[in-house]
Amino acid sequence: MKFKALLTGERKKEEERYRRYFEKYYGVGLVFAALFFWSWRSLKIYPELFLSGIPHFIKLVGEMIPPNWQVLTGGNVAMAVLETLSMAFVGTVFGAILSFFLGIFAAQNVTPAAPVRELCRYIMALERAVPTLIIILLLVVFIGLGPFAGMVAIAIGSVGMLGKLFAEAIEHVDPRPLESLEAAGATRLQLIRYAVLPQVIPSFIANSLYRFDINLRTALFLGIVGGGGIGLNLHVAMSLFRYADALAITVIVLLLIVTAEKFSDYLRKKIIGQEVLS
Amino acid sequence: MLKLQKVSKKLPDGRMLLKNISFEVQKGEFVGIVGESGVGKTVLLRCINGLTIPDSGDVIINGEDRPQKINGKKGRELRMMRRRIAMIFQGSILVKRLSVIENVMTGKLGQISTARSILYGFTDKEAAEAVEALEKVGIAHLAHRRAETLSGGEQQRVAIARAMLQDPYLLLADEPVSNLDPKNAETVLEYMLPLTDRMAIIGVFHHPEIVRRYCSRAIGIKDGIVVYDGSPDLDQSVLQEIYGGGTEPAVKAVSCF
Repeated sequence: MKFKALLTGERKKEEERYRRYFEKYYGVGLVFAALFFWSWRSLKIYPELFLSGIPHFIKLVGEMIPPNWQVLTGGNVAMAVLETLSMAFVGTVFGAILSFFLGIFAAQNVTPAAPVRELCRYIMALERAVPTLIIILLLVVFIGLGPFAGMVAIAIGSVGMLGKLFAEAIEHVDPRPLESLEAAGATRLQLIRYAVLPQVIPSFIANSLYRFDINLRTALFLGIVGGGGIGLNLHVAMSLFRYADALAITVIVLLLIVTAEKFSDYLRKKIIGQEVLS
Repeated sequence: MLKLQKVSKKLPDGRMLLKNISFEVQKGEFVGIVGESGVGKTVLLRCINGLTIPDSGDVIINGEDRPQKINGKKGRELRMMRRRIAMIFQGSILVKRLSVIENVMTGKLGQISTARSILYGFTDKEAAEAVEALEKVGIAHLAHRRAETLSGGEQQRVAIARAMLQDPYLLLADEPVSNLDPKNAETVLEYMLPLTDRMAIIGVFHHPEIVRRYCSRAIGIKDGIVVYDGSPDLDQSVLQEIYGGGTEPAVKAVSCF
């Protein structure tokens, strides 16, 4: 009984707290709700479209099945798959080479010239800000449609991430071996070659392999906007309403992606695993 | 060979760490620098090869042809002076992912052209030299292991082999055995000892007992000045002077070696 006063006192304090809480966030909530409502309206969302679309979808699936495997035997698709793979592979290699130098010139501990560093950082930040889709649209103006434009777009599109990760890895190396070589009279380039690179190359290769996975997906959709490769075949099949062809191509694309991912995962584990174990 | 003239160094907080340190070292000497932790022994050693720049005073090295000041030197000139001054760091700092033999050969970097060392790498002759140096410290069989797989004592011996590849006239050793067990410490020091017929060695040591057994001369530092310079047979009164009132470090040192 004697706790009752205490309880009501507590409750009053709690109520007070809740009220203040709501007052504090009421305005924020209102703005959020208005923003959401306005966005919703601008999207022109009509849920009934889902219902009316069901027959279309059933028809589409009906036309897709069975997939037209014939389309794969022409040789045309095989070439396109190769083109996509090559686009991703060559693009990643060039991207990695670019990133290698950008990364070194952006790392504080190996590049003392601040303007050079800032410039490299700026280039990489700019690249990260521009989606690969925009890059290819600009490149198509330059060098026209085709896998060449796709490859260049992939190479440029890789440097933002790879270069930044590489620069960060360089900045986090153990500085003591650098000093010990410096004490023996080594030049800056020798320091980079014999004390920095041995510490960072495994992670650089692992990151590049990961980037290859990403670039393979990029190569697929670049085909749709004019970059060539299997993405283009898929786009054409869909545009001509050849849904059975499209499904066959999609299955191939999925297989390609899954295989590439497994392969690069395996290599990455081998490289990083080696780094940890021995 | 080496002459320190009134070398002084301030700490970032303005406190004087080294005050007018002067001494000379000749070829063939094995000098042991002793003093309490934090007294500036490592900084003093780093002043000698220019890794730390003294605030005042000169470090004069007479190595290859004529006496030169190392303080104030920069870039190429500094590198030229450093290539034949070897330094063994505390807890040997090897490049972990390079093989043992590559680590040893990095001692040669100061003496070969940058372009060649990057585009081509090391020559067979340098590799042979490295193997020879590894043989001298008794670990030639580990030449192709990765440096990080070696034990502390083995790594320290690699550091000595690397120093030997520099063909130094001056070897600076910053507590080369402080994190080794007594047996390994003894092995490492036994390998260092015969080097004195070709060079001068200056070592920083934690334990007076090591200085007593291996060095030819001891320099004691306290409160930034040289308080003792003479025979390595540090007796109790000298140790008192170097380590202050408490004899504890000395006692500890004796019992642990």
